[in-house]
Amino acid sequence: MDVLHTRNFCIIAHVDHGKTTLSDRLLEYTNTVAQRVLTAQHLDAMDLEKERGITIKSHPVTMLYTAKDMQVYRLNLMDTPGHVDFSYEVSRSLAACEGALLLIDAAQGVEAQTVANAHLAFGQNLKVIPVINKIDLPSANLELCAKQLEDILTISAEEAILASGKSGIGIQDILEAVVQRVPPPRWADYPQTRALVFDSLYDSYRGVIAYIRVFSGVIKAGDMMMLMSNGQKSEVKEVGVFMPKMTKISLLEPGAVGYIVTNVKDTADIKTGDTITIASKPAQDPLPGYKEVRPMVFCGLYPLESNDYEKLKAALGRLRLNDAAFLYSSESSIALGFGFRCGFLGLLHMEIIQERIRREHDVEIISTYPSVVYHVKPHGKPEIDVDNPVNLPDPGTIEYISEPTIKASIHIPNDSMGDILALVMEKRGSVEHTDTLDANRVMLSCVLPLNEILVDFNDRLKSITHGYGSMDYELGAYSVSDLVKMDIMINGDPVDAFSSIVHREKAEGKGRVLCEKLAEIIPPQMFKVAIQAAIGGKVIARDNVKEMRKDVTAKCYGGDISRKRKLLDKQKEGKKKMKMIGKVNIPPDTFIQILKN
Amino acid sequence: MSEIISAPQDTPYAEPLGVYVHVPFCASTCDFCAFYQTTPTADGVDRFLQGIANEAALVSWSRPVTTVFWGGGTPGLLAPDDIRRLGAILQPRLGGRPVEWTVEMAPASVTAARLAALKEIGVTRISMGAQSFQPALLDGLGRQHTREQIFRAYERIRTADFASVNLDLMFALPGQDEAAWLADLNEALALAPDHLSTYCLTFEEDTKLWVKLSKGQVKLDVEHEARLYETTWARLEAAGYAQYEVSNFARPGHACLHNLNTWRMHEWIGLGPSAASQHAGWRGANVSDLDQWLAQITRGERLSEDRVALTPALLVEDALIFGVRMNAGVDLAALRRRFPRAPWAAVANETALLTEAGLAGITDGCLRLTPRGRLLADSVGTRLMQAFSEEIST
Ligand SMILES: Nc1nc2c(ncn2[C@@H]2O[C@H](COP(=O)(O)OP(=O)(O)O)[C@@H](O)[C@H]2O)c(=O)[nH]1
Ligand code: SF4
Repeated sequence: MDVLHTRNFCIIAHVDHGKTTLSDRLLEYTNTVAQRVLTAQHLDAMDLEKERGITIKSHPVTMLYTAKDMQVYRLNLMDTPGHVDFSYEVSRSLAACEGALLLIDAAQGVEAQTVANAHLAFGQNLKVIPVINKIDLPSANLELCAKQLEDILTISAEEAILASGKSGIGIQDILEAVVQRVPPPRWADYPQTRALVFDSLYDSYRGVIAYIRVFSGVIKAGDMMMLMSNGQKSEVKEVGVFMPKMTKISLLEPGAVGYIVTNVKDTADIKTGDTITIASKPAQDPLPGYKEVRPMVFCGLYPLESNDYEKLKAALGRLRLNDAAFLYSSESSIALGFGFRCGFLGLLHMEIIQERIRREHDVEIISTYPSVVYHVKPHGKPEIDVDNPVNLPDPGTIEYISEPTIKASIHIPNDSMGDILALVMEKRGSVEHTDTLDANRVMLSCVLPLNEILVDFNDRLKSITHGYGSMDYELGAYSVSDLVKMDIMINGDPVDAFSSIVHREKAEGKGRVLCEKLAEIIPPQMFKVAIQAAIGGKVIARDNVKEMRKDVTAKCYGGDISRKRKLLDKQKEGKKKMKMIGKVNIPPDTFIQILKN
Repeated sequence: MSEIISAPQDTPYAEPLGVYVHVPFCASTCDFCAFYQTTPTADGVDRFLQGIANEAALVSWSRPVTTVFWGGGTPGLLAPDDIRRLGAILQPRLGGRPVEWTVEMAPASVTAARLAALKEIGVTRISMGAQSFQPALLDGLGRQHTREQIFRAYERIRTADFASVNLDLMFALPGQDEAAWLADLNEALALAPDHLSTYCLTFEEDTKLWVKLSKGQVKLDVEHEARLYETTWARLEAAGYAQYEVSNFARPGHACLHNLNTWRMHEWIGLGPSAASQHAGWRGANVSDLDQWLAQITRGERLSEDRVALTPALLVEDALIFGVRMNAGVDLAALRRRFPRAPWAAVANETALLTEAGLAGITDGCLRLTPRGRLLADSVGTRLMQAFSEEIST
């Protein structure tokens, strides 16, 4: 099928605005999937994705559609991961398209993610087709949606298609719009073969399978392909398309979206965004936009049961095979034993990996407080990256530390404005400007340190706005900040798992909370035990573990001696299992309990 | 370790020797009680007494018996003739008059006839389980006696003129506040016993109270318990009763020698079901069942439970961890002479830590706990044990 009869597009939407439902309708309408096979939400494959209503891995699908002009078109629908953590992946999926359907829930209107995704699509020069979805809802407000389209997204409301994925309204209009409005595949005339890798998958039988969009030239089994980022070559063993199951075909032509099976053994070797060309006739210039993705958020993951260490290691290894953006290396902690330092694209990515370790690999884990990657500049030496407070050099040697920031767009009801401004302030953020979304909602554009949104920002946003607030963000620049390392000490001995890099002004408050929690959770002790938070040896907060009041057997006569001995023996053995920090025996789950909440 | 075990066992002759008889009969089971006891029947008592005779015959000892203690159960439930019979079984083996002979009694079964029988066989000390004077609290414990019975029984005991009389009381009972406990203490003091044992209520597994606790019907309050301990100690000291162990108080000359000797890790021979012994190189207990015990005795067996060899290492450790419960403390110098190879350096380390924290002190070579330390005697014991094992394992 020629380029003129090919359209590549994707659907972008705020979560829950109906992307999955609509995708299923499109597959159904084009008979790509028989209706009975269509389990609800066909494109989101992983359980976890279903549960959270988000897409993590992209699953493209090819549909054949006979348009009103009686011609058959090949429509490639790219599914895009909808979350900011995967914004690079989103941008690569978008880069594989020429057009995008922008879904807006008719009852909700434009939300944070709608705006963010629309901007990404404009950035890729995609033809954006606005679709006002869920118009079957009684609460649908078409006027408002039209106004928001024009005011916020600067898209002419006349272009909007009215649809309902649920009731099957507007499906044909959408498919027609894709054919009519989305341009045919671009750059098809480039003299050599160029294909964009937008995802990859590890298959235990076939090795790495790369998902690609061919821009020019053809790729077929037997070709010797080359990755343009590093010149690595590999034989193509198979090519195919998604119908929606992987279906082997003889060759992939310009404009095609499909997969290739190669000899490459590690997903990390075929990176998303790389350009594939043919080794014998290589392209001169790669496709634009390739970037090395680096984890932004790090944390330690430890098995709850120390003998699950190997199991956890195996789980991480397997997850890594399918997810080149996830990094791990072994580390150990006095408080938590042996575990791994893990790097993630963002918070959601971190949560998802943790959840998959628990569910799919059945390992109970505990994670340390997440940390961002700081840029630390020692005097007279180049900047270094620090993702673990433990690795922060001596404060005296540091010229400055800078931290990553984000540009957030926060959509909230007007009446929570005061509280949200206070929250942003508390999180060391600043509001750049505010825009009115409609009579009841405003959009705040803020700059915040990434570190500050790691823990409870989203939860608090939701709770302040009673669930109506939403936020999306993109990474901003690094900015120098007055950051210090805070240690938590038990009787003067630091507890490594609780060291953190914090803003100087936040240190005392955070230190106090941690000291209080530890003092509360550590069981009463015979001896005075001080819990202290300190910056470079200077104590900024302290608390004492409760002193043990009574531990004495009332009756202890001849007949009780053996029993009593056994009891004391048991206590003694119990103590052996405890961690000794600052001469205090600490039950193994103390730190876990604190990290848990 | 091997060095300590192979060290010659040093058991001087002049060592005191105790005899303990467990009389396993009670009229009913108290809600807090985990002792082995059963309902008395004529036949059961007869077989029990025969068993004691047979068991005594299995054990040989040559030195005179210093103290005798009949505990239970309720030894005071035995009929006067049975008391005489049990007395007659023991007497030939005592090597003279013991310094102290204690019998435990329950208020409901104290009669002049029984007391006369006890006097007759040479009993010197009566220990009566009063527990409380408040009817509601007694009821809550499942005790089968009344307040009036305590007074009547006490008067009878005094009339019979034993050398020493003890009352057992319990505190931290469900629903008992500090004032109620002081009221109980004061009523006991008004009787002017020679000795008082005050026990903080302990929730023993498999008792009715334990069930209540696990169902959340009663609650543990450690702080409250600690306060009651302190109240008790202050009140009794003011009344002239010197504390000599965590739960024991006596007027001068009335401390229970049998128990003191136990805590000093001397020897005693235990007879009867569930009775523990520490004698002739072994520690152990009899099986907690009348019929099984009888069967074992018939086969010439005893001490089938928790049997351990008494090595010097074990004895020194126990002399320490149980000794610190006593106000007199542990004579470290004497202990060191007895067991020179014990890990004394580690013990010294530990005692230094305890002293620094205000939990213990050493005076005249004796390790003594402070009142705060005494409330933590179990934790102290665990730490001392740890000090022992650490040194030995390195
Ligand atoms: N009333 C109505 N509900 C819809 C429509 N499309 C989707 N939904 C519902 O909206 C929720 C989110 O839909 P889903 O397709 O999973 O959204 P996604 O998160 O964007 O993929 C689900 O409960 C759907 O049943 C629609 O056209 N009309
Ligand atoms: S009388 Fe003593 S031994 Fe008998 S059940 Fe009551 S507490 Fe237990």
